[in-house]
Amino acid sequence: MLTSLAHSAFSTWLLQSDSIWAYPIVLTLHTFAMMVLAGAALVIDLRLLGFADEIPLPTVVPLFRALWGAFAISAVTGTILFIATADTRGRQLLFWIKLALVALGLVTAVMIRRRSVRGDVEAVAKSDAVKRLAIVSVFAWLAAITAGRFLAYIP
Amino acid sequence: MPTVGNGADLAHLHLLLNHFPTIGTILVFGVLLIGLVRRNEHIQKVGFEAIFLIALATLPVYISGNAAADVLTGAAGVSTDAIATHNDAALASLIMMAMTGAFAWFALWRLRRNGRLTNGLTWTVLVLAALTIAAVSLAANLGGAIRHPEIQGGQYAGLFGSATGGSALISAAGVRNYESQHPYAWPISETLHFIGMSLMFGVLMIVNFRLVGWVRGMSFASVHRLLPFGMIGFGINFMTGMFFFIAKPEQYIYNVAFHWKLILLMLAGATYLVLTVYDEAWALTASAEASLAGKLLGGSALVLWIGVMYFGRMLPYIGSSF
Repeated sequence: MLTSLAHSAFSTWLLQSDSIWAYPIVLTLHTFAMMVLAGAALVIDLRLLGFADEIPLPTVVPLFRALWGAFAISAVTGTILFIATADTRGRQLLFWIKLALVALGLVTAVMIRRRSVRGDVEAVAKSDAVKRLAIVSVFAWLAAITAGRFLAYIP
Repeated sequence: MPTVGNGADLAHLHLLLNHFPTIGTILVFGVLLIGLVRRNEHIQKVGFEAIFLIALATLPVYISGNAAADVLTGAAGVSTDAIATHNDAALASLIMMAMTGAFAWFALWRLRRNGRLTNGLTWTVLVLAALTIAAVSLAANLGGAIRHPEIQGGQYAGLFGSATGGSALISAAGVRNYESQHPYAWPISETLHFIGMSLMFGVLMIVNFRLVGWVRGMSFASVHRLLPFGMIGFGINFMTGMFFFIAKPEQYIYNVAFHWKLILLMLAGATYLVLTVYDEAWALTASAEASLAGKLLGGSALVLWIGVMYFGRMLPYIGSSF
């Protein structure tokens, strides 16, 4: 099935078209989404780790919105990129590790969001549990970026 | 995509822009000294701002120098050793200039926090600027030795010795060798480049969302401690980006996407300085709304950085030189 996806007419067009509106723009949108997604997560993590703690936590909610919007873009573009190269990507262990790391980052984001908008937010923000979540989040996104980048270089 | 210029235009640009790090740094050194002697913080602040902008402008000086070298290589009476020696001295100057610019930004950031300047930091910038002037003078002198027959008979043309490429502390050839012998240096740098970009854009989002009004309920000043993280991201990308350029200049010199990336980078870098020194923004309380000018600044900073990312990612496709 992976091979038939990669050999579909769509995949052939995406990879072989000379237009920048084919593969290059999908790849660029995927990169843009990664930048917004990881960027929003990292800056929220920095806040939770104690930097700029004058920022009231509930005010960072728009960053969570940016994070989920970016995830939507990266899921769509990522699926398109996967279809085009399904036969090679699908067999790369690193690709599945990358997806697991992204999942870990997203689950952490949900847990952080749940703790940072309701109840005694400031007490939660100072708790070790939230700081540990922030550290897991930083690890997940840095590792996911690393895995994603190395996919382009490891056969 | 409209082209920015051919090899001759880029070489011309090199001759125009190289005065900013040379003459510009000397002038600003004087401004900083006057600020110190008169104990005038405002004058010192102007000096820091100018040094930051000169450091930004030094990037296209180095880049366009590679185009000039490419155009001149093989021309009659031009020694490739002289070009290589000038290139290595220029690389050392670029690094010195970047450090001076980074410390100048740090001084402005500290001033924002404490409301006053510490003499130690001003002296640090002043000493770094002096070392930069020395490095840039050497680079400029070696650059003048490449093809200026009218000064060759004079006693100062070869003031800093003859051109022997490769003996410098840091050399472009050394960077190229390192890259070709370490296959993982490029992917690791790419990874760091993407991480630096994300870190920087995360900081830019919270800062500029506040200005635009998408984030409300916090004072602008509360983002203060996040700004250095944006600068760290920028620093990582400056270093890894220069590594790419020096290792494979042929991919970039005539790449139109790269030219547009640099132009947007200059403007985007300037917005980072403006965000740091813009008094009206820093006075915004939790409930206050930024003026139209503030909103435009925040919006254009985001658009410019997204543009830098766009042309960076499109380097292999628009310029088609990879």
